[in-house]
Amino acid sequence: MNALEARSIQFYYDKTQIIDNISMSLSRGEFLGIIGPNGAGKSTMLRLLCGILRPKQGEIQLFGKNLHEQSQRTIAQNIAFVPQETHFALNFSVEDVVLMGRYPYKRPFQPEDQKDHTAVEHAMNAANVEQFRNRPINSLSSGERQRVVIARALAQAPRILLLDEPTSHLDLHHQHTIMELLERLNNEGISIAVVHHDLNLASLYCKNLILIHAGKIYAEGKPAGLLNKKMVREVYGIEVTIVSHPEKNVPQIFL
Amino acid sequence: MFLHRKLFVIIGCLILLGFISCAQEHTNSSYRVVSLSPAMTEMLFSLGAGDKIVGVTTYCDFPPQARKIRKVGDFSNPSIERIVALKPDLVIVNLPEQKRIKSELDKLEIKTFISSPKSLQDIYKELAAIGDTLGLRRRADSVINYMKQNIQTVRTSDRKSVYVEISPKPLITIGAATFLNDLINAAGGTNIFEDLEKDYPVVGQETVIRRNPEIIILLHPEDASGRTGWQNIQAIKNDRVFKNLNPDHLMRPGPRLVDGFRELKRIIND
Amino acid sequence: MTKTIAIIIIFLIAIALGILVGPTRLDSEILQLRLSRVVLGIFAGGILAFCGCLLQGLFGNPLVEPYTLGSASGAALGASLGIFLFGAISPILAFLGSLGVGFFVYTIARIEGGLLRDRLILAGVVMSFLCSSLVMIIMVLGGRELYEILYLLMGYLGIIINATNRVMIIALIAISIGLVAFLYRYHRELDIISQGTETAAGLGIDIQKFSLVVFFSSALLVGLTVSIVGAIGFVGLIIPHVSKLLFGPKHIRNLGASFLLGATFLLFADTLSRVITVYELPVGVVTSLVGVPFFIYLYKR
Repeated sequence: MNALEARSIQFYYDKTQIIDNISMSLSRGEFLGIIGPNGAGKSTMLRLLCGILRPKQGEIQLFGKNLHEQSQRTIAQNIAFVPQETHFALNFSVEDVVLMGRYPYKRPFQPEDQKDHTAVEHAMNAANVEQFRNRPINSLSSGERQRVVIARALAQAPRILLLDEPTSHLDLHHQHTIMELLERLNNEGISIAVVHHDLNLASLYCKNLILIHAGKIYAEGKPAGLLNKKMVREVYGIEVTIVSHPEKNVPQIFL
Repeated sequence: MFLHRKLFVIIGCLILLGFISCAQEHTNSSYRVVSLSPAMTEMLFSLGAGDKIVGVTTYCDFPPQARKIRKVGDFSNPSIERIVALKPDLVIVNLPEQKRIKSELDKLEIKTFISSPKSLQDIYKELAAIGDTLGLRRRADSVINYMKQNIQTVRTSDRKSVYVEISPKPLITIGAATFLNDLINAAGGTNIFEDLEKDYPVVGQETVIRRNPEIIILLHPEDASGRTGWQNIQAIKNDRVFKNLNPDHLMRPGPRLVDGFRELKRIIND
Repeated sequence: MTKTIAIIIIFLIAIALGILVGPTRLDSEILQLRLSRVVLGIFAGGILAFCGCLLQGLFGNPLVEPYTLGSASGAALGASLGIFLFGAISPILAFLGSLGVGFFVYTIARIEGGLLRDRLILAGVVMSFLCSSLVMIIMVLGGRELYEILYLLMGYLGIIINATNRVMIIALIAISIGLVAFLYRYHRELDIISQGTETAAGLGIDIQKFSLVVFFSSALLVGLTVSIVGAIGFVGLIIPHVSKLLFGPKHIRNLGASFLLGATFLLFADTLSRVITVYELPVGVVTSLVGVPFFIYLYKR
């Protein structure tokens, strides 16, 4: 049984088709990269997978059960979503933000208990943000903030983690730490799907890739087979040089 | 006593009617007046000059003939275009309410007559003045006499304190600069807000309770019973709250003030 | 903890001033009058600030409150219509006005998957203007009701309490205690939604249901408040900010603190409105005098 499975998904705003009959799956323990040019529908697909958007046609299954027959709460106990960038209108402390990840487990008026605090400690530890615990969230750099958001997602104790371009706007150091963090989480058993537009980063860290182009799946498979000159020419419309990474032996693209 | 008063009224009316019908004054019958003041409309009719009115406001509802005259708008927003279209020789305006219309009319060089009575004396003066303007001074004098004779100050050593409420939300009462204040005085009462200079001031509940009126007159349909904090006011305790008075008899500076005065006198000296 | 004690003490001082300060000396009747006025002030101020806190949280916009959102003007329109048609303020019409205008503003500002925060305020201002014009038409047509509507538009706590409105006031107090307690359950949702609707949806919040409940409840509270004391502006704008300055961003503290601070502020404003002139000033005049500069400060920041 797959962690997530989408079957013949259609999605459009008004009359603009965004997703045109996509079927895909995220198997357990997978580290999947969703790539494609701007406006291809990658981010929309991610939002459909975690139930923020509802497909106009087709069905999504979460561990074999129809996603939309489950409460948003139950979904949030299984899937954590990390948006591209979070604007913090209110300046909460880092610990408070991570604690919000426990929301799907709380009833109204139910105070946080030991279990919640354990989960929060574990999440902050994993994302390496413990040292910021009492800092106001808006005093952190954007890379540090992104790690806090991932910690909040981990506090949900999810089985699936969906991330929308988690490393865009980040410098090399933070790109690296975030991707390393995801790799570690994946090794601990969390299924991960990441939307990327950095093909090299996707190639370095993802086990499998899905390339979405104009709302359809253009190709899927291991980075080694999927990233080639013909694909880049057809999808991105440019000529590139592709070489193999000297250590990890995966394709890397040069302009 | 009651019969006496009735007789008095009848005689008064007869005298008034006599004056109106027998008066021999002649004016130019084609003189055209627009009255934007319901009180002045009444006054003109009492002077026998109702036929000179070519335009009134929707508030001008007395005497019944006034309702048949063409309307130029309501009291606060008469239409300048409709007024001009009637080609009036004279427009009667109320100040300060119709200040805007007055300045428009001045610009068009249309003659205006200003009505803005702050006291009983003002009412008499205005009556005389409109009489002069229309060439009906003798008739005006007889109406003035009729009013003066019927609104005579009651001599009493026991003056009752009176609170007049025009609106409950907020509390609006009458100050010194009103003819209603004069009427209350003449009827043997004292307005508890006589010390306020504004004509129609907004007051607080606390002040009313503190001044503890013996008589309350409500000129609106709401009740005064059951108000929190009001229960120990003398007027309320002694059941001296009056609310069925005709506000047109008390708030309109016209000949019907005589009726209003009679009612006030009855209430205050009962 | 010390801050909590401090605001409670200030609140008690405001109550004491509300009872002790006035144009005449205190006796049992005046005490009754001032007590009811203080109770009215506590609930009107508390509710307006509470609703401001809720709405600012819901829309993630620091300039939102029942007044800037247009729903107070909508309530005033409904209430004026009641005065015009039935000769008395109708709380149901006020509620419908508040709800109607609120929803209209919400619809204008809504785009797929979110809200445009600038458009929310713009739509609120536009709708306030529209409501004001409609109220003015009523004032022109009505005439006699003019003063009542005028005070309704400015807000006034010195109203007469009698058999007809006593029930409504008790209803306001009962409903507000109930709703405040009920809405408190949403403190976590309000915290989370400040980080965007996607984050909130991802954490399992049913955004649509949550927005509806908050919106509907605050419209009910605003409609009821306006129908009793009129449209008092800016309490709902200033107070939640002051509360956040004092207690930080968490709504579990802000909702309660806003209520208490709103009550305190309105009591002070009302006491001031009674002493700055010999006449009774509408309390909304005082809150606006303080509120407008504050609004400009927030907008410029």
